[in-house]
Amino acid sequence: MDLTVEKLAKMIDHTVLKPETTQSKIKQLCDEAVIYDFAAVCINPVHAAYAAELLKDTSVKVCVVVGFPLGATTPEVKAFETKTVVSAGAHEVDMVMNIGAMRDENFDLVKHDIESVVSTSGDAHVKVILETGFFKDDQKRKACLICKEAGADFVKTSTGFGPMGATPHDVMLMRETVGPSMGVKAAGGIRSFKDAIRLVDAGADRLGTSAGVAIVEDFRWAQYSDSWMAPDKPCWTCPSRMANMAKQPKEVYMWYKERCLTCPDKVHNVFND
Amino acid sequence: MSKSSLYSDAPILHVFLNDKSIRRESLPPDLYEQYLGGRGLGVKLLFDNLAPGTDALSPENLLVFAVGPSTATSVPTAGRFVVITKSPTTGTIFDSHAGGYFGAQLRHAGFAAVVFHGKADTPMYLWINDDNVEIREASKIWGKDTYATTDALLEETDSKAQVACIGPAGENLGLMAAIMTDKHRAAGRGGVGAVMGSKNLKAIVAKGTGEVGVHDPERLKVAVERARRLIKKNAVTDKSLPIYGTPVLVSVVNELGMLPTHNFQEGTFNDAEGVSGEKLLERFSAGTYHCHGCPIGCGRISLIQGKKVGGPEYESLWALGPQCGINDLEWIAIANDKCNLLGLDTISTGSTIGAAMELVEKGKLDAPLKFGDTSGLLDFIDDMAHMRGLGAKMSEGSKRLAERYGAPELAMQVKGLELPAYDPRGVQGHALGYATSNRGGCHLRSYLIGPEVLGFPVLVDRDRPDGKADLVMLYQDLSAAMDCMVVCRFTNFAWTVDDYAEMVSAGTGFELSGRDLLRLGERIYNLERLFNLREGFTAKDDTLPPRFFKPLPEGGSRKRIVHLDEMLPEYYLLRGWDNEGRPTNETLRKLDIPVS
Repeated sequence: MDLTVEKLAKMIDHTVLKPETTQSKIKQLCDEAVIYDFAAVCINPVHAAYAAELLKDTSVKVCVVVGFPLGATTPEVKAFETKTVVSAGAHEVDMVMNIGAMRDENFDLVKHDIESVVSTSGDAHVKVILETGFFKDDQKRKACLICKEAGADFVKTSTGFGPMGATPHDVMLMRETVGPSMGVKAAGGIRSFKDAIRLVDAGADRLGTSAGVAIVEDFRWAQYSDSWMAPDKPCWTCPSRMANMAKQPKEVYMWYKERCLTCPDKVHNVFND
Repeated sequence: MSKSSLYSDAPILHVFLNDKSIRRESLPPDLYEQYLGGRGLGVKLLFDNLAPGTDALSPENLLVFAVGPSTATSVPTAGRFVVITKSPTTGTIFDSHAGGYFGAQLRHAGFAAVVFHGKADTPMYLWINDDNVEIREASKIWGKDTYATTDALLEETDSKAQVACIGPAGENLGLMAAIMTDKHRAAGRGGVGAVMGSKNLKAIVAKGTGEVGVHDPERLKVAVERARRLIKKNAVTDKSLPIYGTPVLVSVVNELGMLPTHNFQEGTFNDAEGVSGEKLLERFSAGTYHCHGCPIGCGRISLIQGKKVGGPEYESLWALGPQCGINDLEWIAIANDKCNLLGLDTISTGSTIGAAMELVEKGKLDAPLKFGDTSGLLDFIDDMAHMRGLGAKMSEGSKRLAERYGAPELAMQVKGLELPAYDPRGVQGHALGYATSNRGGCHLRSYLIGPEVLGFPVLVDRDRPDGKADLVMLYQDLSAAMDCMVVCRFTNFAWTVDDYAEMVSAGTGFELSGRDLLRLGERIYNLERLFNLREGFTAKDDTLPPRFFKPLPEGGSRKRIVHLDEMLPEYYLLRGWDNEGRPTNETLRKLDIPVS
């Protein structure tokens, strides 16, 4: 893809989801989104109406999270939340999947949960956050297929509050699973234009990040050297490096770490790089 | 003089110390267009007017104080000045920069640069009061430290003026003598203070009340608003530097195993936490210091034994601390203040003390110097400024000191300039920057710590040698161009090449793209290279001390060496230089540098 600063900006959901976010921060977020012509602002429900008002008559969408960040509420509550934010002006809804049900292999409940949001979202697009850091690859693939069957528009990697952020590995897996007709949103830990480009190259068509301004501004440096995109140590972008025993179920953590033992790039796996 | 002068209309002030005459010359338009101002202006003046082989401490050397087209405008951080001369320390062309407020005063007084020629027969200082310029007697203040000098001159001239002066180190022609302004901001490196001392020039005092004009104020306003916004959005310029100052780097660099310790014998300092930016904030912070027009405010003010002192900044803290194995933060701040008082470059001072400590450790030198031991060290620093005993030998810098005692390999320097606070084994691109810097061991010609360590604008693998030549060249050229505007290096955490170009375009009326600006920087870099080649430097000087080709024993950069042999040929090729590191005629023509 021949990526320009403008094209990159139009793939970014300019995001603030911290609990301490004030209205002035939302105002700044929306102002920046207009200046840079980002795809959307991604915010908590409480700010939906205010952001919609600020962004009316602009091309910037309002994206609101639902069941966030745990995804552990009921389908009915997610449906109600969706209805509320859509009526407040949300153009897009980023819901968190029922992660526990997915791990229980209660696929019907997972699907029903998503359908309850899709059915109340009206014209708004629905993105389903898998929170990939809680799953092994097979589970991620299965989750993607359920999202597709349930009528979601996008699958999304992470909340930014979970055990892992977006990795090219996961985005590639998700893109391969859902095919070209669905969107794939990478989110969590995207801090630089190199992160962004790698995820786009892996198949993402939307990027959720709170560093959108820096990413776009720093991308202006890209034209002055090809060396920015020189390969890094493979571990830097590998989900196994990011695995965290304190935040992940034991078997998931071990699954990630066991991959390191047989990894052809094992020689690079030092922790002071 | 116009009360709203454009930089292009600002004269160059030539001061002839031999006969105490003064002459104003217009800034030549072609020089302005090709070299802009600041460092570029000074480099061009030296290249054209200094005979090859001139003794840097002779009256024939030129000493240029320059500001740029951005100085004292609304461009953030643009209150700095640059000193350009032939360095007595390195023998190279040299530019040394300082913040503070002096540069803005010089520009408000209406001048683009001041060029000192010759040597006064007795100590003098220059008093620039708007367009009134006087060479004044300075015998009464000769011998005074930089603080007393500053106070005395402000009393004698105008309390609203700004002073750039030397202390005893400069008067005694010490090769690590700095030029100090506002007491604790230094044009520190390369012995520029000694050049000033060699001319019997104690100080310049400047006060200006004129307005500074720009070509397109509205366009500049838009560019500056954007530039300020970017500074506020950047984690380094909006948080790390304002909160901790440059010492924020201590923990980061130590964690990566590249905080030079015990004269670069190790890359990890066990007591790093005790000398960190965090600890400085907790124990001694008494405020921050903003240079003219700076929204960042990285400068530290510390309260030490009831006295407010400037600093210590990262490089100073390292040189007087971990480099010498010293973990006493309070002592480091005191030693730093003493260097400022005496007009000594803290990097070279600390690094040379560290080299002397290793010479003692290796049995090459018999002196009461021991890593980690501060006993008597303040007296050594005093001796270095006053040329007493071993201090006189140390004042010549680590290269000459180590050679004198038969162990040149123990001097951690490039082209005679002591290396700063990053072990190059842990950062390949930065290492190449050290080796190819036109002024010797310097971290600011190409600050690849940004991308290789801090991740600005993006994190690149610090261990990879490939691709680094390209980045070093980019940073060297951009830095040269920034030094023509005379803005602070820290802005490039937040601004892109295009931002600098836009501010230059709006300020000057030259329509420069980012690539045009880099081309301008490249022109300066090549002209400096030609100057150094003319002085006898060769490709053999583009190297590092042998220590860096042996692995670090432990820490976060253990087992690493510098892969200079892989990077240097690629660098020469990209630069358009031949195998001997000489710019080809084609390269010179491309850059509009006359081929001799």
